[in-house]
Amino acid sequence: MDQQGQNGLLSTFREGWRARRLSAWLIAIVLTGFYLWLYFEDREWFPVALKQMDPFAASLGLENRWYLYGLLYCVAMTGGAVYYLRRHGNSRYNRIRIGVNLFVQIVLAFTLPFVMFIFANKDFYLSYLWPLKIDYLYPDTLAKFPVYVAIYSILASLVAMPILALRVGKRWYCSWVCGCGGLANTFGDPWRHLTSTSTRSWKLEKGTVHTVMVVAVVLTVLVAVDLFAGDSMPRYHSVVGELRSLYGLIVGSILAGVIGVGLYPLLGPRVWCRNFCPMAAMLGLIQKAGRFRIKVKPDMCISCGNCTTYCEMGIDVRSYAQTNQSFTRAACVGCGACAHVCPRGVLKLENHSETRKDKKRTALPILDA
Amino acid sequence: MHIVIIGNGVAGIEAALAVRAKEPDWRITLISEESDHFFSRTALMWVVTGQLSHQCIEPHERDLYERLNLQRVRARAVGLDLEKQQVRLGSGEPVSYDRLLIACGSRPRPAPWKGSELDGIGSFVTLQDCEWLEREIHGGSSHPGGPPRADEHLAGSDASSPYWRRPSVRDARGGAPTCAAVIGGGLIGIEAVEVLAHAKVPVRFFIREDWFWPMALDERESRWIADRMSSHGVEMRLGEEVASFAGKDRVEKLVTGGGEEEDTDLVVVAIGVVPNTEWLAESGLELQERGGGIVVDEHLRTSDPNVFAAGDCAAVTWFDGSRRPEQLWYTARDQGRVAGRGLLGDSVAEYNRGHWYNSAKLMDIEYTTAGLVNMNVEGEKNFFHEERGKVRSTTRIVLSGDRVVGFNMLGRRWDHSVLIRFIEEQRSLDHVLTHLNEAAFDTEFVPPLVLPSRAGELAGPAFSLNAEPVRPPAA
Ligand SMILES: Cc1cc2nc3c(=O)[nH]c(=O)nc-3n(C[C@H](O)[C@H](O)[C@H](O)COP(=O)(O)OP(=O)(O)OC[C@H]3O[C@@H](n4cnc5c(N)ncnc54)[C@H](O)[C@@H]3O)c2cc1C
Ligand code: SF4
Repeated sequence: MDQQGQNGLLSTFREGWRARRLSAWLIAIVLTGFYLWLYFEDREWFPVALKQMDPFAASLGLENRWYLYGLLYCVAMTGGAVYYLRRHGNSRYNRIRIGVNLFVQIVLAFTLPFVMFIFANKDFYLSYLWPLKIDYLYPDTLAKFPVYVAIYSILASLVAMPILALRVGKRWYCSWVCGCGGLANTFGDPWRHLTSTSTRSWKLEKGTVHTVMVVAVVLTVLVAVDLFAGDSMPRYHSVVGELRSLYGLIVGSILAGVIGVGLYPLLGPRVWCRNFCPMAAMLGLIQKAGRFRIKVKPDMCISCGNCTTYCEMGIDVRSYAQTNQSFTRAACVGCGACAHVCPRGVLKLENHSETRKDKKRTALPILDA
Repeated sequence: MHIVIIGNGVAGIEAALAVRAKEPDWRITLISEESDHFFSRTALMWVVTGQLSHQCIEPHERDLYERLNLQRVRARAVGLDLEKQQVRLGSGEPVSYDRLLIACGSRPRPAPWKGSELDGIGSFVTLQDCEWLEREIHGGSSHPGGPPRADEHLAGSDASSPYWRRPSVRDARGGAPTCAAVIGGGLIGIEAVEVLAHAKVPVRFFIREDWFWPMALDERESRWIADRMSSHGVEMRLGEEVASFAGKDRVEKLVTGGGEEEDTDLVVVAIGVVPNTEWLAESGLELQERGGGIVVDEHLRTSDPNVFAAGDCAAVTWFDGSRRPEQLWYTARDQGRVAGRGLLGDSVAEYNRGHWYNSAKLMDIEYTTAGLVNMNVEGEKNFFHEERGKVRSTTRIVLSGDRVVGFNMLGRRWDHSVLIRFIEEQRSLDHVLTHLNEAAFDTEFVPPLVLPSRAGELAGPAFSLNAEPVRPPAA
């Protein structure tokens, strides 16, 4: 098979279930309902008759409903990956990327914790890092981990994350490793064109995503202070405890799950990543300072809009391409869709080390503008 | 100062933006028959396939005109009075200007065959052609409602306009076409073929020449594209002419040059475009005798000092000294910018065409060209390399004597600006072969093209240094 060439995507706007029509609302209601169920089944107020997920998981031999969820997650990602590769599998970047995504989900985020639990009665998700998994840097959680896991968690979040983001961009995490990103790029792919590309949505995103990031960092510091303060400040301790669970409820359950996945069919698959994920925000800021960029071939863009339409992060790629600007946007997760769908091969994801020589040769003597 | 621009295409809008950038208070009026919003004509095919909506192919947000105070008139210009400095609209109403830019683009070259006026036969150039094809194939628009105010211009227009919409015969036919034909082996033809093949409409592709797109491809390259089309179910009819069409109310038969009658229920004629300048015939503005392009100087000024022309309708001077229109997106854009400077009263800005380059996608095979290809240059030699591994590609490097003057590349992505640099630096084949991968623009992880580092080391059947490109017999 040829490595590239564009023959996927077709019919997106004609397939009713992928458009923002009634069917999309129905799918969104089902997904949202599922997440509400999953997150709140063990709450007191939850109708007793519906508390079926945990028992069902147990009947399958799974410890609790979260393993059931993990299993469903793997199934959804595998199905989505098949769909995705049938459409975009002629790009080698996509094949490798989705392969890694699947491997991480099935092995590191499902099988390994599952086995760990059987043997050690404890699990740890190697592929989830702080601040996405905020408690992995809470001192009390770290203290409960075996030493090597605690060291891994600290090094991965505070050392490997920024270094890799500087070298290859945030994509190493957001579209190669992360489970949220993996689900978005497989199961969520049919809806990628629904992400808003308006200037307004860009402004909104900058506000929300950086707010969550600041909250996550501040909360982590508060929790650390709490631990070192010991029992000396009981009031502070209880406030921090409440903040922790409030953050877990709002960010972890509602924004990442219910809204983040539930609204795929209405707002596109990266609602969570784009607007709320503290990890994406942090990686984005690092990416701006690093080497990753989308290189634009000069004076070849025909302004067709394929890149902008299929950007799942709502970046108006065309506005850069048609003005010959290579660029790095904080939001870009490096999924490669823009480069893949561009019918004139204008775009290229790269980790550049720009020298003067490179700069010189991108200029063409067209007119003395 | 009142600037009037006829055309809301890429040349027109770029000129308007250039004027507005310098003069916030001048009155700017854009007259366009075709659409309310500037859209990318090059992207029409993806609207028909359902890959993009009508709004997706608009390069600017819809409030652009209000934000920049660009006045729009959705009407057909039917005449020009240079003396009174007035444009006449289809409604009879005049619009006065201080300086005028004509950026009215192309219209499809009319089909010369008997029966061409039958319903079910059309072109694929304008937004209305796109809407027509969408209705024929799918029974409606890719996006609910289609483009905004789609019928707004019809009142002051008629079937002689390229922006008139052909009636769909889908109902009379009883559904989507089942035996379509596309005529004319160029870029628009292959786009129409791709659109129909994607919609699973059986389609025959009539090409007068012995191979597809002989202007740009040699036989080996073209054969690959033709094979790819065949593998997508397209019936290639190379070297076949069309004689006429027949049918009662709509097209039912196509008669070939050989006299065969073939069932046909949809025809897309794609035999080129011509400047859309019939409405200027009486105006006294200097037009080219052959072709009708508006004659312009290097500032894109026409024979009237207050009137400029840019884009597909302007006959500009080419790199080889000849004068004809350049029917390309990026040249129309550049010309629009230069004309904008002219409208501002700047007499310095010149349109200088650099080296020729272009790219396209032929079905799913990507194509890049730069420099002089298929031009019969002096002492021409062609280096040709076919790659059949993980990637399938062809590389053709054209030499004049021992200087590299052109590139024709299929199957991989290349940065034309680097290829042009090789040409400008008058590099030898050896140099280019060793440095070619500096121009590679493939996505990550695609294995690089491996070429023999020196022409002298050519070996094996995959390599050839043909003295002559494989050309079609002269038409
Ligand atoms: C299907 C297709 C695919 C193409 N693909 C490519 C490609 O891949 N690469 C490439 O380089 N080029 C491509 N082209 C060519 C490219 O689209 C044109 O060169 C370019 O659009 C020309 O721009 P323009 O501004 O000169 O005119 P146009 O885009 O044609 O705009 C003409 C404008 O003039 C207005 N107008 C015309 N007559 C009147 C009148 N009498 N009264 C009022 N208004 C009027 C119309 O309303 C319209 O707004 C393609 C063309 C087609 C049809
Ligand atoms: S960069 Fe490519 S996909 Fe994007 S608008 Fe330009 S030609 Fe189209």
